[in-house]
Amino acid sequence: MNGWLWAATAFAGALVPLGLVAALRPAVHGLVALELGGLDAAVTLLLLSEGTHSQSFATLALVLAVTSFVGSVAFVRFLAVLEHAGRRRR
Amino acid sequence: MRSAIAWVLLGAGGALQLLAVLGVVLLRDALDRLHYLGPATLATALVAAAVVVRESFSLIGISALLLAAFVLFSGPLLAHVTGGAILQAQRRGDG
Repeated sequence: MNGWLWAATAFAGALVPLGLVAALRPAVHGLVALELGGLDAAVTLLLLSEGTHSQSFATLALVLAVTSFVGSVAFVRFLAVLEHAGRRRR
Repeated sequence: MRSAIAWVLLGAGGALQLLAVLGVVLLRDALDRLHYLGPATLATALVAAAVVVRESFSLIGISALLLAAFVLFSGPLLAHVTGGAILQAQRRGDG
């Protein structure tokens, strides 16, 4: 196991507290943790790619970064829709 | 020499990412947490730079460059959109 894989392990370990924040805190707090988790996971895949010299992990990191961004924007949109629905109910 | 530069960049990126994770986990206010997305974006760019220094412009290096470019472009946009959602939630009394 080389240094790049150790770094990937450390970055993957950082996903655990972020997951806890996303699961246990209110939605907007969880959203921030989710966005950081997406970045963290993308970097983890990039480090895995470098550690194993496998191009497929690097492509996966790129795809994850894009889908994480789109997912976060969609999540923000859902929160706005919920807010709007709540205001109409009141 | 290239290897040493790559390790320094990787160490700096790892330290910044650790700072960002600690900030998001330990701070109480959602907007305070949001501030730590900035260092995480920079950490991603530093790690990508480490990979490029080591790999040069191989397929992995080019993927790392594209990842850094995308993250540097989308990070501020995401922070802006999320900040708006947090402000709305705080007005509602949910943030």
